[in-house]
Amino acid sequence: MNNYYNDRQMINIGNNNNDLAGLYTGFIRGNMFNSLYDQYKNYQPAMINPKNEKEQYLLDLDQVQFAMHDIHLYLDNYPNNNSMIAEFNRNREIYNQLLDEYQAKYGPVVIYSDSLNTTPWQWDNQPWPWERSDN
Amino acid sequence: MWAYQKKLQYPINIKRKNLRLAKCILSQYGGYAGELNAALRYLDQRYGMPDERGKALLTDIGTEELAHVEMISTLVYQLTKDATIEEIKQYGFDTNYTENGKDLYAANSNGVPYTAAYFAATGDPIANLSEDMAAEEKARAVYEHLIDLSDDPDVTGVLLWLRQREIVHFQRFKELYDDYKKMGIGKK
Repeated sequence: MNNYYNDRQMINIGNNNNDLAGLYTGFIRGNMFNSLYDQYKNYQPAMINPKNEKEQYLLDLDQVQFAMHDIHLYLDNYPNNNSMIAEFNRNREIYNQLLDEYQAKYGPVVIYSDSLNTTPWQWDNQPWPWERSDN
Repeated sequence: MWAYQKKLQYPINIKRKNLRLAKCILSQYGGYAGELNAALRYLDQRYGMPDERGKALLTDIGTEELAHVEMISTLVYQLTKDATIEEIKQYGFDTNYTENGKDLYAANSNGVPYTAAYFAATGDPIANLSEDMAAEEKARAVYEHLIDLSDDPDVTGVLLWLRQREIVHFQRFKELYDDYKKMGIGKK
């Protein structure tokens, strides 16, 4: 986790794409691009307040995956933007590291996870994502 | 091919059941501007795109829309999960319950069933991208109506997030559309 937070700080400081929001802000509003953000009436994005370590981990994972995805869509249209490719790859490296850590701790998110190399079968041993997390 | 990820794109934890709101939200499942139709339309149209950018964008936005189908389904599931039969009758969810119980029937809030005609694919990349831009704007408008109707801040937060995705997708489709026009694609 410590490495991750250092990396996250680097993203915000070393971000040459001034239009990109920070990871948390971009994620809670569903839009990484400051110039595209379009508020509806006076509604503010919902804050996400993790209630435990697992939810904090999931938020970290969700937000870096989201940043990667929104940059990915941008790059589909602008495949020669070097600094955005660098942003994508910075996020991708953090995501891969976080995904490994999360799955080792809390079970598989993807079927390729090393956490599945155990008995009993772990894929169906965790709640499904459509269940409320307080259940 | 596709591989499932056992998580939502954005977390959803609705504390209170709300059958009337669930019925309204069903439009974003099986309605013409719904997430199911968006996913299927983009994935259907991608084969006819004239370059790699268009094939990539329709594949990747179509894939994201599948994650939004799961989010809409999750909203309806959590809003209806603990409902009693009395509540189902009182708040108008009986029309869904009759044939489908609490499973999602792919229809809009008026009960009009989903149809493949909603794809509206033409085989013409310019017409298709123009349709896709309109689809994102229509979905944005429906989300705004749902936000206006919502009396639960937990639900509103999810709807605001999904609305923002329509705005980003519109922009990406528009960039491609404008560029294809400039390149003369679609000119006879």
